[in-house]
Amino acid sequence: MNPWLIFIFAAIGTYLIRLSGVLLLRDEERIPLPVRRALRMVGPAAMGAIIVSALFLDHGEWRAFGAWHLAALVAVGVAIWKRSAGWSMLAGALAFAALLAAGMS
Amino acid sequence: MTELSPATPGRAVLGIGRQQWADAWVGLKAISPLLIGSAAFGLAFGALINVAGINPWAGASASVIVAAGASQIAMVEAMRANAPAIIAILTGILINARFALYSAALAPIWAQFPMRWKLVLSYLMTDQSAVTSLQWADRYPDPVRRRWFTLGAAFPFVGVWVVGTVVGILLGPVIPAEWQIGFIVPLMFIAVLVPGLKRPAELVTLMVAGAVVLAAKGLPFGLNILVGIIAGLIAGATWETVADSRAGRNGSVESGKPDDTPDVAL
Repeated sequence: MNPWLIFIFAAIGTYLIRLSGVLLLRDEERIPLPVRRALRMVGPAAMGAIIVSALFLDHGEWRAFGAWHLAALVAVGVAIWKRSAGWSMLAGALAFAALLAAGMS
Repeated sequence: MTELSPATPGRAVLGIGRQQWADAWVGLKAISPLLIGSAAFGLAFGALINVAGINPWAGASASVIVAAGASQIAMVEAMRANAPAIIAILTGILINARFALYSAALAPIWAQFPMRWKLVLSYLMTDQSAVTSLQWADRYPDPVRRRWFTLGAAFPFVGVWVVGTVVGILLGPVIPAEWQIGFIVPLMFIAVLVPGLKRPAELVTLMVAGAVVLAAKGLPFGLNILVGIIAGLIAGATWETVADSRAGRNGSVESGKPDDTPDVAL
């Protein structure tokens, strides 16, 4: 099928998903407490899932231990130490570049 | 972290008040470390469009109308593998299903925004800007200042993604494959998430989500991510419930606010 149509249908679906909660859940008081508690954890849950998937899986198979894991550890360490996204990005990127330059993959 | 500046009176610029510009600027600064990641990832997506031989206008439009990188890459890969169109579309939508959760979490924070703002900010919603909006909500109790802050973070992030895509389509694979630019995805998410982590329940959520993602790695269409997210949410909510009931039994008030208080901080 035409890539245009694929992207357009996916775009419509994605926009409706992005709107869903914002439009439907207008009254927070009516959301049950356990659901409210769960929703406060969306950031760590979604980002944690994506981080772990990217670091440990590669196209559905285990990623061999190497630069990805070590550089991520550096980024996490600096993020905790400096409490700063900028320093974490910089340190992680530099560590990754250094590890790749050293022949790791 | 940048502290809020005091209210800035002054003349309007381009019909937008000084205060609004200032709040949007704080949003831009909050997301700025991630902008290079968004641009680089856009460059990689554009290069993929170029290499896959997909209509460049369609590829560039995808970054404007879908505006969600991981799903776009998965859809292009499905097209390259000659998967049926419905599979390509479903793959993209399933990868983006997590936005329903961000949307639900943002609903109380955006509740007082006018409808047109909700429509625009929802369109601009990304993992990075959604988490930034959640993390900063309690520093912006005023809904007008909050929405300008959110726009200042969300719009540039999508903007550089689109620019990166167009440059990538024009130049092709200028970033060597050996650089493994894909590392930018976990790196960006670590950078935005980890500095804001505070509560034990958040760590529990993160670890359970990650463990389930790996345990469910055999699931098709990236469903392991979705299952992992939901497992993490259940674990985090359960942890909080147990912690609260224990704190209640001990008569401790350390657990913080009563549950009826809208707690918008992550």
